[in-house]
Amino acid sequence: MNHHDRSINAGLIVFSLGILAVCQGSGLAQTTQTPQVNSCVVCHSDMQEDMKGSIHSQQGIFCDRCHGGDPAQSTKELAKAPGTGYIGAPSKKQIAEMCGNCHANVEIMNFYGIRTDQLAQYKTSMHGKKLFQGDTNVAVCSDCHGEHDILPVGDPGSSVYPLNLSKTCNRCHGNEKLMSQYKLPSDIFKIYQTSVHGKALLEKKDTGAASCISCHGYHGAVPPGARDVGTTCGKCHMNEKKHFLESVHVTASEQGKFSECISCHGNHEVKPASKVLYDQTCIRCHSAEGPEAKRGGEILKMLTEAEEKLRSTTALVKQASIEGIFVEPEMASLESVKTNVIAMAPLQHTLSPERVSELHKKVISNTADIDRSIHQKRQSLWLRKLALIPMWALIIVMISALWAKYRQLHARPGNKKDGKEKRS
Amino acid sequence: MIKGWIKSWFADRYDVDQIEEVIKGQVEKPLPENISWFHTLGSMSLFLFVSQVFTGILLLVYYRPTVHDAFESVKFIMTTTYMGWLFRQVHAWGANLMIIVLFLHMLRTYITGSYKKPRELTWVIGAALFFLTLVFGFTGYLLPWNQLAYWATTVGTEIAGAIPWMGNFIKTLLRGGGAVGGETISRFFVVHVIILPWVLFFLIVAHLFLVRYQGIATMDPVSPGKEPKLKEGVPFFPDHVLKEGIVFFILLGVLITLAILKPFDLGEKADPLQTPFAIKPEWYFLPMYQMIKYFPKLVGIFITSLGPLILVILPFLDRGKERNPFKRPISMMLGIAGLLLLVGLGMLGAVAETKKNFFGKTYEFDIYGIPRLIKANAGSSESLQPPQTPPK
Repeated sequence: MNHHDRSINAGLIVFSLGILAVCQGSGLAQTTQTPQVNSCVVCHSDMQEDMKGSIHSQQGIFCDRCHGGDPAQSTKELAKAPGTGYIGAPSKKQIAEMCGNCHANVEIMNFYGIRTDQLAQYKTSMHGKKLFQGDTNVAVCSDCHGEHDILPVGDPGSSVYPLNLSKTCNRCHGNEKLMSQYKLPSDIFKIYQTSVHGKALLEKKDTGAASCISCHGYHGAVPPGARDVGTTCGKCHMNEKKHFLESVHVTASEQGKFSECISCHGNHEVKPASKVLYDQTCIRCHSAEGPEAKRGGEILKMLTEAEEKLRSTTALVKQASIEGIFVEPEMASLESVKTNVIAMAPLQHTLSPERVSELHKKVISNTADIDRSIHQKRQSLWLRKLALIPMWALIIVMISALWAKYRQLHARPGNKKDGKEKRS
Repeated sequence: MIKGWIKSWFADRYDVDQIEEVIKGQVEKPLPENISWFHTLGSMSLFLFVSQVFTGILLLVYYRPTVHDAFESVKFIMTTTYMGWLFRQVHAWGANLMIIVLFLHMLRTYITGSYKKPRELTWVIGAALFFLTLVFGFTGYLLPWNQLAYWATTVGTEIAGAIPWMGNFIKTLLRGGGAVGGETISRFFVVHVIILPWVLFFLIVAHLFLVRYQGIATMDPVSPGKEPKLKEGVPFFPDHVLKEGIVFFILLGVLITLAILKPFDLGEKADPLQTPFAIKPEWYFLPMYQMIKYFPKLVGIFITSLGPLILVILPFLDRGKERNPFKRPISMMLGIAGLLLLVGLGMLGAVAETKKNFFGKTYEFDIYGIPRLIKANAGSSESLQPPQTPPK
């Protein structure tokens, strides 16, 4: 920083102090403990740009909250003098506690409507536990949220915004060298990118799709144990979870022999649920010829048939609508069929052909009713057109009869006109 | 025996012979030798009126003239009620055919010069009947309360609002408020099912009375004094009635065939918040609607109202004695010019604001009916003719 810049900054400080004096005089100044002037940026001007957009800077929270010191002082020596609490760059452990000073304080956070259990949760997480055991490789608040440029979570530019979060986790969890120390895989993000969740989030920008924190938690991040996976997936896939608990696999799951959802769908690589799973995953544990596979086959057949019937009936109703037939009642029935077909997807997790067949029967019967109704309407239209034939036959007979009579009258002797009208 | 008893019952009370004589006189009334197939068009108009009344009454059983129920009730008629679809389609097609038949009837009267003395009043009443039938069409078009109906009525009443001095009053009177809504549907309904049918009925009675009283016009030039009564000619019954019977059956067949093969769509329910692209009135208003586009608002309204006015007072403007079209070249030329103008404007109105394919190329017609070739690569358009600037 050259002499000229310093002069300008010093000038700004004096100007700010002037404004402050006026505000205090008029009672407008906020009565907080935060100093109204941040003289740190006189020397650390390179930080000023980073801080400008940060949520903390916007809220008037200056460097001293994390670094100590007295930003109200005009010289470097006075600002970092003993007694000002100056600590310089905080350690990772200090960062967690420093953030918690405010973020675990209900009185402060209540005003912003932000929860205050992050520090407590963090301490229960694998990251937090390791940190407080002295492992400084693990992530602390600033590793995910940033340091001087912290943005609100809802800001699309934030490193923890749903679309950016998995990349942020990958900064450490994609580091092969670092992960090898903990015997963890470093290719999770690559696998996740190809999964149904990853594609929805990263390609379709669906912020509702599951990312790392959806399953692992965020401040309290821990790898879910084998028995917790169902609960984790069940947060979004509620009906699947509910019906799974009614299935025969629950016992195996409780015994730790079967990892609920993962056993069939996988975890990070989870693909769009497909009926192919019946052919591929059941035989991992069951014989391809056994009764279990047969039951699976029955369910698969019902699902396939229901979807096919829905597709063909939808096409039929659409075509009838194009032909100008009123199809509103059929459209309403079709909605009920769609609901049943959609409900079959979670219901199949009961692995009970009897349960699935209840919906399957409804789908088949309702689609048959719709097909019949459309067929009758088409037939009725066809009959109307067909009725034109006898109608025209009758008309032609009548016209012929009248015409014959007319000709007969004109053939009468003495009825020939001479073209002249006789008048009185 | 019963026949004799009934006859004597009436004979004891009324002058049956005299009544019989009057009926016989009317039935056997001699018609002039020039009576042609085209002379059946008047009776066909009457048949269509009766058909409209009959199908209209059946529709009234289920129709509900409110914003909430109108569309649903018409849909109910078309989908649920027994043969409701047929009555609605015959009513809709009947309205269109009635306008065509009335127009042809007027055209025949114009060509044969039948409107001349002493039948001026018959013509004036006939012209009034034609225009009232158009009003019938306009009011009936709104009643199904679908998108097309709603917006065509909005545009139609807006045009009425442009009439100098009293336009705003007429528009509000028609709409029953600032916009087309529940009040409009009530008004149009009352006009369509109560006022117009009775007005039309009495005008038809007057028209028919004059036709029967004065007789059918011959092709002879206008007489200097009173026209002599025809003593001999083609008897009304059975000769002419047979012809009417034949045309009646053809018309009935055409009406039902159209109702079955080309049914009118109900479309979507009226939505005042969603204006469809290229709103157009019914085909019979298209020539007038198109004409208005080429002129500034007031001039357009003045010119389009001149047509009907001239038509009504035609017998008083054309005082020539000849009825034979070959001896009335100016009248025929004017008639043909008027006809071409109507057809031309109607066609321009029909193609305006549409896209059509000709010989593999797509043309877009602007509101004036001017075609522009649409280039396949970019959505830009190229005028085939120099663009016509409408006068301001």
